[in-house]
Amino acid sequence: MTTDAAISIQKLNKSYQESGQQHAVFNDLQLDVKRGEFIVLLGRSGSGKSTFLNLLSGIDPPDSGKVIINNIDITGLSEHDRTLFRRHHIGFVFQSYNLIPTLTVAENLLLPLELIKRVSRKDHDHVEELLAKLKLSDRLDSYPDRLSGGEQQRVAIARALIHDPDVILADEPTGNLDLDTAEQVLELLDILVRKAGKTMIMATHSQEVIGKADRVLSIHNKTLQLR
Amino acid sequence: MSAILKRSSRNFLWQHPWQLALAILGIALGVAVVIAIDLAMESSLKSFNQASQAMSGTATHRIIASDGGLDEKLYTGLRVERGIANLAPIVTGYVKLVQPGEDNFKLIGIDPFIEKSLHAGWQNGQSESFSRDLLTRLLSEPNSVLLSEKTAQQLHLQINDQFKVITDQGAQQLKLIGLFSVNDAVAEQISAKLIITDIATAQEVLGLFGRLSSIDIVIEPDDPGTLAAIQQSLPGSALLVSIDSQAESMREMTRAFAINLKALGLLSLLVGMFLIYNTMTFLVMQRRRLIGSLRLLGVTRQQIFKLVIGEALLLALIGTVVGILLGIALGQGLLYLISGTINAIYFRIDAATLMITPLQIGKGVLLGISATLLAVLPPAYEATQLSAVKVLARSQLELGSRRLIKTVGLISMLLIIGGLVTAWFSGQSITLGLASIFLILFGFGLLTPAITLLFTKLFERVFGLFLGILGRLPARMVAAEISRTGIAIAALMIAVSATIGMDLMIGSFRQTVAQWVHASLPADLYVSILGDKMTAEKALSDHQLKNEIAKLAGVQMLSSALHTKLIADDQLTKISVFELNEASKQGFIFKHQVADDLWARFDNQQSIIVTEPYAYHHAVKIGQKIRLKTDQGEQAFEVIAIYADYSGDQGHLAMSRQNYQRYWPDLGYSGIGVYAKAGTDLKQLESRINQLMTTQQTVKSNQDIYKASMEVFEQTFTITETLRWLSAAIAFVGVFSALMALQFERTRQLGILRAIGITSRQLTVLIISETGLMGLIAGLLAIPVGFIVAYVLIFVVYQRSFGWTMAFYFDAGVLYQGVALAFIAALLAGIFPAMKMAQTHPAEALRTE
Repeated sequence: MTTDAAISIQKLNKSYQESGQQHAVFNDLQLDVKRGEFIVLLGRSGSGKSTFLNLLSGIDPPDSGKVIINNIDITGLSEHDRTLFRRHHIGFVFQSYNLIPTLTVAENLLLPLELIKRVSRKDHDHVEELLAKLKLSDRLDSYPDRLSGGEQQRVAIARALIHDPDVILADEPTGNLDLDTAEQVLELLDILVRKAGKTMIMATHSQEVIGKADRVLSIHNKTLQLR
Repeated sequence: MSAILKRSSRNFLWQHPWQLALAILGIALGVAVVIAIDLAMESSLKSFNQASQAMSGTATHRIIASDGGLDEKLYTGLRVERGIANLAPIVTGYVKLVQPGEDNFKLIGIDPFIEKSLHAGWQNGQSESFSRDLLTRLLSEPNSVLLSEKTAQQLHLQINDQFKVITDQGAQQLKLIGLFSVNDAVAEQISAKLIITDIATAQEVLGLFGRLSSIDIVIEPDDPGTLAAIQQSLPGSALLVSIDSQAESMREMTRAFAINLKALGLLSLLVGMFLIYNTMTFLVMQRRRLIGSLRLLGVTRQQIFKLVIGEALLLALIGTVVGILLGIALGQGLLYLISGTINAIYFRIDAATLMITPLQIGKGVLLGISATLLAVLPPAYEATQLSAVKVLARSQLELGSRRLIKTVGLISMLLIIGGLVTAWFSGQSITLGLASIFLILFGFGLLTPAITLLFTKLFERVFGLFLGILGRLPARMVAAEISRTGIAIAALMIAVSATIGMDLMIGSFRQTVAQWVHASLPADLYVSILGDKMTAEKALSDHQLKNEIAKLAGVQMLSSALHTKLIADDQLTKISVFELNEASKQGFIFKHQVADDLWARFDNQQSIIVTEPYAYHHAVKIGQKIRLKTDQGEQAFEVIAIYADYSGDQGHLAMSRQNYQRYWPDLGYSGIGVYAKAGTDLKQLESRINQLMTTQQTVKSNQDIYKASMEVFEQTFTITETLRWLSAAIAFVGVFSALMALQFERTRQLGILRAIGITSRQLTVLIISETGLMGLIAGLLAIPVGFIVAYVLIFVVYQRSFGWTMAFYFDAGVLYQGVALAFIAALLAGIFPAMKMAQTHPAEALRTE
């Protein structure tokens, strides 16, 4: 089963159980995302944006349907293999940054690399370069709680990119930031992700992002709709 | 407090059943151990007293005697010549039932028609007809006896049935002529192993012709004349004691043992307090957002404080009730161990029943609630300090904790120094000696978080060097949550260091005792001559046996010992009477330099030597004179040496047989040491000696006695071992509780790790590494602390408790075992939380706040 799309979603269904009742989140979702495409996902709070990203990354398994990334059907993989897949191919940026508080900035960036391979001097240099690009050279040995929200989100972006994944999934990356900082972060994502030719799906409320996206989708009535 | 606030608190607790259950368990276990020890110890002593009261009835005084017993003429003399009424003669001894079970029974011979005021407890419960009919038969029919209804039922005996018992006199036939009933559980327990008969039958069955074991007396408080008259009539071997003072002296005898046991119980409570503190801190910290919101809504600091204290009080009540119930169950098990140890070291307890008094339950309730409230004060205060405007970030909280750790570090140093100073200046006080250990343990416990931070830095570097960031993470995780991990490590460290300390102490004691037992057994074979040393016939047969052994081929020389009691300074005191040869003299380990003429003075002058515990408890010095009661009045004996003896903690005197025979009647021997000629086959000699002996006498090689002595030694420490493991179990629950709480709190962080590609197996390894590291730190810290505890136990507590000195024997194995115990306990405690977190779905974990 080969496809030209970087991501192909086929008849994806997901529901959850609450108080003994089944609630559907998605019904037969269909989507093809091209390599290097930047998709913005809109939707009301609780509409299922985060769940959609979790399904794409293999964190959450669907009830039925397929998620194919780089011609690999991740829904057919075991939990362990999905983790290994995520480790190599996916970069995550969260709304609340989600850096590891017990690791320094540099270590937060090195961890995804270390999970893939033996970290070399070259990798350390790469981390330093990336942080320099993000204007965080002086924060190399700082712990996350010493950083401002904007700084933390920049580190989170660097962490999502450091291992050169094919797909970046961003869940409300500017949701906790003020307008100026949010703009800076979006700018960075634009430069570092789009221009590097990576595929990116971003769940957001931010209207500013819409202009930069290749496609804008919204979750409505448990399906994806083009806007 | 507002009902809604209360509901919010209750709902929160219900939503965290794990923490709730572990907090209750922590309180319950601490209370249970303390209650169990108290119940078991008190019950053992009460059982002894009640058994004694059940036999003595309303008697106020008792005439007791050394092993020679009392001449029955003393009774008639007091009654007829001195006209003293209210006297009850008693003959007691132990017999073994031939079938079934071969149980030991206490045979008591009484005067059935004694004044009602002197009726024993069991007699008062019987009907009048019972007394008249049966008691006449008891007196008139030879070998007739009474049993309790229940005992007869258990032995399947009917009235007029005959049954056999074994005594020193051989097998004897007894006839059951009546049953007595008892009306309460205690009396039932006491009467379960009791055979009642009349004086004459008891004397005949036990071979104590013309002798009495004791005489019970009722003396009115306003009758000093009778007291003086009795005192004047007593021979040198008899002593008049009040029943109350006898009970008190039993309690005093076991005081040190009881204090040491209770200290072990308190150790469990101390470890439990760390657990309660940890859980309550967690319950407060987990609600920092909620508390912040409540403060924003106008809830005052006082109300927050009351809320937390109220929760703790509720947990304390539930935990204490559960603890008391657990304690009663545990007490039943400990009763067996404690009464066994009292039997082995102090005095015989025939039947011990667990007796629960409201006072003991009250003590448990007070202890459980006050320990919980004490442990919860710091987190309750912390809760009031949470900002109403800005809910503190976890990292800021940890920064606060780190600042606190520095302050606490100073306090802990003061506690440790205070503990060491207390140990040094505690004089003869056992309590102060034990208090010093608690201060040291508590001090090091408080210092643990600070030292843990240093250790984590070291481990982080070492593991980071080889394993990269994932290798550094466990140490970082421990350090990052030091307010939680530090307390769990401290609890584990305290339990393990107590274990190391006690292991080193027991090991040192074992070595010391082993050397002493070895040195004390210079003869090749030892003949043990059991039985009541009351009859002239026995002395005669003992001498005959000794002469016959001396004549056997292969026997080079003999030594002998008689272990009996004398009255020293108005107290019945154990004495060993020795007939020593040159080899057996080498078996004494003196606690000081002795003069060359020591043995000449021992044999020929009016002198005695005393054991180390005796010298300690009675503050006896060399050159001092001890006054011993004889038939010719009091005689002073000079103490010429103090020697090591670990056979009992009350100590005893020792004198030469020549000295003894000058003043006291011949009671034969308790044991004969046989020294074989070189090249003699000891097995053959043993069998030749065996042919000369009755079934009541045994011959054993020195090796067999050595083994049996060491077995007794190990048995006496069973209770200590049990309690030590209980403390370790509580510490284990503490670590488990802390880890569970930590992992739940970290759910989101662990979810992120899973999102960026850490597999569930890696996560399990990560969490278990963290817990293993906590165990390792606790174990490493426990080494020096355990060492200090051992030192204080050996040179302060045990010396003061029992009067024994012993050398410190260092055993590196104990230290390795301690570290391994802490490491494995922490690893095991980490397995379940690790598995639980690894199984948590990453999407779910990411949703957690």
